[in-house]
Amino acid sequence: MVEQNDLIEKIKHLIIQRLKLVEMTPEMIETDAPLFGEGLGLDSIDALELVLGLEKEFGVIIPDAEVGKKVFQSVRTMAQYVIEQQGRA
Amino acid sequence: MMGKTAFCFPGQIQERPILEDHHPLREDSHFKELLERADRVTRFDLLNFSFKGEETANELDLKLQISTYLLSMVHFSRLRAAGWTPDILAEHSMGVYGALAASEVVTFEEGLFITESIGRLLKREGTLHQGAMASIIGLPLEEVQKICQDLDGYRLFIANYNGSMQYVLSGEVEGVEKAISFALSRKAISATRLAFATALHSSSLLSLREEILGLLKDIKIQSPKFPVLNHWTIKPLKKEEIKDFLSQEIGRPVYWVRCVERLIQEGVDRFVEVGNESTLTKLIRWVNREVEAFSAGDRL
Repeated sequence: MVEQNDLIEKIKHLIIQRLKLVEMTPEMIETDAPLFGEGLGLDSIDALELVLGLEKEFGVIIPDAEVGKKVFQSVRTMAQYVIEQQGRA
Repeated sequence: MMGKTAFCFPGQIQERPILEDHHPLREDSHFKELLERADRVTRFDLLNFSFKGEETANELDLKLQISTYLLSMVHFSRLRAAGWTPDILAEHSMGVYGALAASEVVTFEEGLFITESIGRLLKREGTLHQGAMASIIGLPLEEVQKICQDLDGYRLFIANYNGSMQYVLSGEVEGVEKAISFALSRKAISATRLAFATALHSSSLLSLREEILGLLKDIKIQSPKFPVLNHWTIKPLKKEEIKDFLSQEIGRPVYWVRCVERLIQEGVDRFVEVGNESTLTKLIRWVNREVEAFSAGDRL
């Protein structure tokens, strides 16, 4: 659990840094809120940034749109995917 | 040494702008004044996102185009009033109409007339030859080119080069739909239809050149007050070539990446998107993460 909470924090930092959300802090991002649409309001260009960010930061790959859709539901689903993929390595 | 500032005029927005009662623009004097002036040129009512009187079908693109122009002009006025002066203007697609009005090449009213008139021509074209556009995110250029080759016969074009891994395709509806499924099966991160009923930036629209020149016949072009970098040849537009550019830009691709790279080479380190949204800001972020880029809609 500690591992997941640390990861959630790191992912929030990653989102802020990759998307240059200069006026946001990690506390402002809800772990379970939708990232796209009504939640954080991200779009597919942001998704591409996050795909690159996850690969650079955690070495995990989002292979296609279908996986991307599942992973980018929320910060928590991103963290779960990173744990799952790193466990496979 | 201080870097230069580029004002960037976005192309057609994709959704109806949300300008609800408590939206800060509603109380803005520039917003009110420009909407009043617009009312004398077009029957389009931005606040209700509708044409006064009877509407005909398939006017979404046209309404989005006029909204884009009006919002860009409102934000341009607000930026200037707040003390901002651009060194150069850049434009993406139909953002050129706002850029030309901002540069005083044409008046606000003439820019609105051009936006609406060309928009109506495109609407007619979309009715005669239904077209479509799609955004393909997450595939390299070679893969996108291969999709176009594999679908040879559907006359697909790369309409926008928005960034490495970010392209817009244009063409016949069936071809664009097939391209979306090809892109997804070839591991694109996203492939979706855009709000266009015409194959914008495809060479099929070059057939409209004479008609567009006819629309522009009585408009007197002035020398640009600020240089306007054009999205096709990536050069500042000269006064004498502006009508010709307008007559063919809708049939030519948008090389946005090259525009951003050229501006950075010229010393631009601050990009201000002159609109309500952050589309160009995000594309600039992808090309170069070091430069400052923000949308007037977010900052003012």
